Amino acid sequence: MAERTPERLVRLLGLVAYLDRHPGVTIDEVAAHFQVSREQVLRDVDTLWVSGTPGYWPDDLIDFDADSFESGVLRLTQSRGMTRALRLGTREAVALVAALRALRESVGDLLDPAERDVLSSTLDVLVAATGDAAATMDVRLAVEASPEVVAAARRALRERRRLRIRYVNAEDHESERVVEPWQLLTGDERSYLQAWCLSAGGERLFRLDRILAAEVLDEAVSTRPGPARETTFTPSQEHERVVLELDSRARWVVEQLPVDEATDLPDGGLRVALRVASGAWLRHLLLRVAPYVRAVEPVSAMADAGEAARAALARYESPAQG
Amino acid sequence: MADALPPAERLLNLVIALVNTPGRMTKEQIRTSVAGYDRDGSTEAFERMFERDKETLRELGVPVTTVHGPAHGDDAGYRVDLDAYALPPMELSAAQLGVLGLAAEFWQDQVLRADAARGLTKLRAVGAEPAGTDAIMGLAPRLHAAGPALAPLLDAAHARQAVEFTYRAASTGEVLRRTVQPWRVVGSRGGWYLVGFDTGRGAPRVFRLSRIVSDVVAVGPPGAFTVPADLDAQAMIAARQEGEGLAWLAVAPERAGALRSRAVDPGDEALPADAPPPPPGHDVLAVPVGRTADLADEIVGYTDAVVVLAPPQLREAVVRRLREAVAAAERLGARRG
Repeated sequence: MAERTPERLVRLLGLVAYLDRHPGVTIDEVAAHFQVSREQVLRDVDTLWVSGTPGYWPDDLIDFDADSFESGVLRLTQSRGMTRALRLGTREAVALVAALRALRESVGDLLDPAERDVLSSTLDVLVAATGDAAATMDVRLAVEASPEVVAAARRALRERRRLRIRYVNAEDHESERVVEPWQLLTGDERSYLQAWCLSAGGERLFRLDRILAAEVLDEAVSTRPGPARETTFTPSQEHERVVLELDSRARWVVEQLPVDEATDLPDGGLRVALRVASGAWLRHLLLRVAPYVRAVEPVSAMADAGEAARAALARYESPAQG
Repeated sequence: MADALPPAERLLNLVIALVNTPGRMTKEQIRTSVAGYDRDGSTEAFERMFERDKETLRELGVPVTTVHGPAHGDDAGYRVDLDAYALPPMELSAAQLGVLGLAAEFWQDQVLRADAARGLTKLRAVGAEPAGTDAIMGLAPRLHAAGPALAPLLDAAHARQAVEFTYRAASTGEVLRRTVQPWRVVGSRGGWYLVGFDTGRGAPRVFRLSRIVSDVVAVGPPGAFTVPADLDAQAMIAARQEGEGLAWLAVAPERAGALRSRAVDPGDEALPADAPPPPPGHDVLAVPVGRTADLADEIVGYTDAVVVLAPPQLREAVVRRLREAVAAAERLGARRG
């Protein structure tokens, strides 16, 4: 896919300012710094080389030292006055400052002092540069987990060591596992430990608030961390497809769950199709949305939830009988 | 062919021209001299393209200012003032850029993700080499996408300009047009909220972004209101969610490990005398209530493995949900499969 115009323009301008500050960096260093391919840097340089002020005679154009370029080094010889870095737009500033603030508020305590300093100083520099633009947004992350568990996970991550955890899954089964922690995925609603699970022989996401205990082991991590994953459940074709028709008060289902398909109905209700990997999960969902459910396909899922509810109610109606 | 230049390259030449112009450039000068514009094309086509380009540059933070000539009737001209263009003098270390990289990854929302990435590209220009890797190892913060309302609300909140949108009320499902002075946008616990002054109701209100069912349109002039200095947006949102105190739960042996891990030492507090006795063999736990709605939702999921003993409101909330589930099963004529 072709890169969008604004992204390319901002990088072209950024390149000139950066190269002016760092004469003699290599093409590969620039590619790494701006996180684009070497080919992209070469295309950008080609563009800069023919850009400049009207007239576009050789003296009007941005120019590089040709000998250096031959040996893979970029040295700006003419910048046409473009050496200053472009300021941040309002939303750019908001997006970065709000994210940094949320990090500091929510995970600041989990960081070691050096990391915390870097985070604070970055925020200070950015706020100084952008003023109060970011006051329009406020974001909080949720790290609702036992501090001991989070501390152990952080230490294991830092020291690249294995972790033994006691975990209780969504179906309320407890297990003990040895995992190789890859990263903590901190979300606004829940946080997860992404890890290679030696017990299961596969990559797993563990909800932090369901890790009951964690102990850092001596063994080093042997797997390479994979890319950060979406923390929401990713439905797949193998999972059972369930269709719910809900009235408008249960709209949060669409907002918060990975629905396969959602259709708005004329009266404000909606029909959603979900892929369900766990019967317990579906039952829990139906127990939460029961008053707003108009139809369930298959209907036996609702029957199962109703049975479970009846059994639970018996506890309330005659608690002494156990 | 000059007009075959890609838009990014045309815009680059336009910025360089406007930065370097000694006074101002008129549209005619731009059309005939800046690379990428078609000097032989129609005036209308040029006007359209130039207006779009100006808008794009302003969105990117390039301050294109309009300058009027000394004589009456002179064409308006344009230039870019470098002091307004540039970031204040600053430098970022590799580690700081690493943290910013983490912050840019934060957004799942497409618009803000693009904004953050572009902001990061700009900041890389003042970064030290080499680019930092993971400054904060093993952390990957992520935020739910907020949907299409977020960007226009942020823009309006920044400009202090009122907005209008259609909103679906949570309780009734009723759809109404609202006019709101946007004070702050808040992301919290998986939800996105707008806190602002609802001019129709003459009172501050909290809106969930996901219930905004129309485009968000800015109305009226910018700078139309001031945000209260003592605004505590998080508190306004939390006020509707928070509960306090302890919940007393009877938990079946070996069950509900996640709840057990949150149990606290109740200290001086004891199970209230009027609470029903726990089922035999069950463990009695004290768990902080937090938001009652959520705790009730969670407990319902354990069905008969967890019984609420106190407080009565929580007990009732759970019983109500269970009864509703029984009723729903009967209403749908559901038979076990």
